[in-house]
Amino acid sequence: MTDKTEIPVMIEREQDPKRTNPLAHVFDELVKFCRSRSMFMLHYCTGCGAIELPPAMTSRFDMERLGIQPMVTPRQADILLVTGYVSVKTLKRIILTYEQMSSPKYVVGICSCTVNGGMYWQSYATAKKLDEYLPIDLYIAGCMPRPEAVIEGMQKLMADIRSGKASNWKDYYRNYDYYLGNQQHLFGENWQTPTDVIGEARNYSLEGPGTTGEHTQLLEQYQQPLEPITTHFRIGESVTVSGEEDT
Amino acid sequence: MTELTTTEIIIESILMPIVAFVIGLFMVLMMRKIAARIQRRVGPPVLQPIYDIVKLYGKNTQTSHGWMHDIGIVMAVGGYVAAEAMLPVPGLNGIAEKGGLIVLTYMIMIPSLGLALGVGQCANPNGSIGISRALTAMLAYDIPFVIVVFGVAWHFGTTNLVEIIAAQQAAGPSGWGASQMPLLAIAGLFALQGMLGKQPFEIYIAPAEIATGPMVEMSGKYLGGLFVMQCLQIYTAAVLYATLFLGGGENWLSFLVKIFAVVAIPMSIAFVFPRYKTEDLIRLLWNWPVMLGLLGLAFVMN
Repeated sequence: MTDKTEIPVMIEREQDPKRTNPLAHVFDELVKFCRSRSMFMLHYCTGCGAIELPPAMTSRFDMERLGIQPMVTPRQADILLVTGYVSVKTLKRIILTYEQMSSPKYVVGICSCTVNGGMYWQSYATAKKLDEYLPIDLYIAGCMPRPEAVIEGMQKLMADIRSGKASNWKDYYRNYDYYLGNQQHLFGENWQTPTDVIGEARNYSLEGPGTTGEHTQLLEQYQQPLEPITTHFRIGESVTVSGEEDT
Repeated sequence: MTELTTTEIIIESILMPIVAFVIGLFMVLMMRKIAARIQRRVGPPVLQPIYDIVKLYGKNTQTSHGWMHDIGIVMAVGGYVAAEAMLPVPGLNGIAEKGGLIVLTYMIMIPSLGLALGVGQCANPNGSIGISRALTAMLAYDIPFVIVVFGVAWHFGTTNLVEIIAAQQAAGPSGWGASQMPLLAIAGLFALQGMLGKQPFEIYIAPAEIATGPMVEMSGKYLGGLFVMQCLQIYTAAVLYATLFLGGGENWLSFLVKIFAVVAIPMSIAFVFPRYKTEDLIRLLWNWPVMLGLLGLAFVMN
């Protein structure tokens, strides 16, 4: 496990000087405000924290009055809610889901299990700290946190998005090597996802000293190129399914 | 009526979709508010539809799945934008006199076809299932819709929407399509529910089952484009119904009251229903509204 103090701190540079539109900052502020007021969330309900989400969304606490709506696919979502313990197998799916979401994206860990493993601390099959594998913007601790706590956390996230503080999705691109290293530690060194994270980091000019490193070299070594899935139809032939016999 | 110059027609054709979009935003807000009230919630704030659209267009990642995907969204929005210029509103006729009811009927089919092209390139199985269901649903509600359109055109002896409105306004509320052809008006309500894709005819969206079907791979500005399309779609359906059956708008006040009342009917029905299966949807839409429509047609043609 890498000690967090060893990670070099990147100092944010000013926006690139190409922007000549005098209204650019006005648009920035408008988009930031709208981002904070319209949050589509994808809830990855792994554990008991999921039970507290329906009351937060429905008539008693009604998240929609804050502009928070549930969405069903990662492409449409802005926030990934991970509500509960994360087993090693589940974590793979969460990472795949996270990488398909469109930036800016935010991850919220709900329940103690995402903070430090909670009551699954001694389990060999559970990922303890979620922020070692994904950039977390907000933790809502509790076992389980009540809907009031969930909504208060969401309001904190709204304020952070509004002020530009919630930008941990950039951290995933800047320190991809760190996150990938921890992922490889759990899943084995041939772990790979269909998303080209390093390419995306270059696209957003977020490539830093921590984007590539020994772990991404390992990834390149094992990476297999994606191939389109072919579909075969057999028409006019009898299809036999093994294991089934006429009786 | 004085003949419009080319410049006036161009200005009106640009103005009408903008008016439609602004009214459509409030219709979407009303839809979400009605849903919230039925579920005993507070509902979203007033400007929520605008926040959603601005946020989606302001996303950093815009995942395109190829140029057909881009064109599909343009077709989906463009079909309705073209339809708006043919729907007369008080004081703005645009190209309504040159378009007419039949062209309009074709125009509001373009978005579904555009969406089908765009979704096809996403290569997501949920999207393909969704769009095949959407086109099947279109086949289902288009039969009563065409019967209704034919009956209205036969009754007023014209397919020109400006003349249809003028004839109804000259005769007063007793001469409105809804009083003259009540059976066709009821059949039209069924078609309206299907056209808006609201419950119980919502099987092609089905968020819990096929992950919002056609929208499954849409992100950022593509989803934003579909949100804009939804505003225009609700507006188009409401104005078309008000034009055919409620005498269009004498002035902006009565026009707005009528179109918002028309949208409130399917929305109030929608959020207390689950959804029908595709085959049940077709069976229902080809039985009752078609029978009502044909009966109404028999009265009209008599």
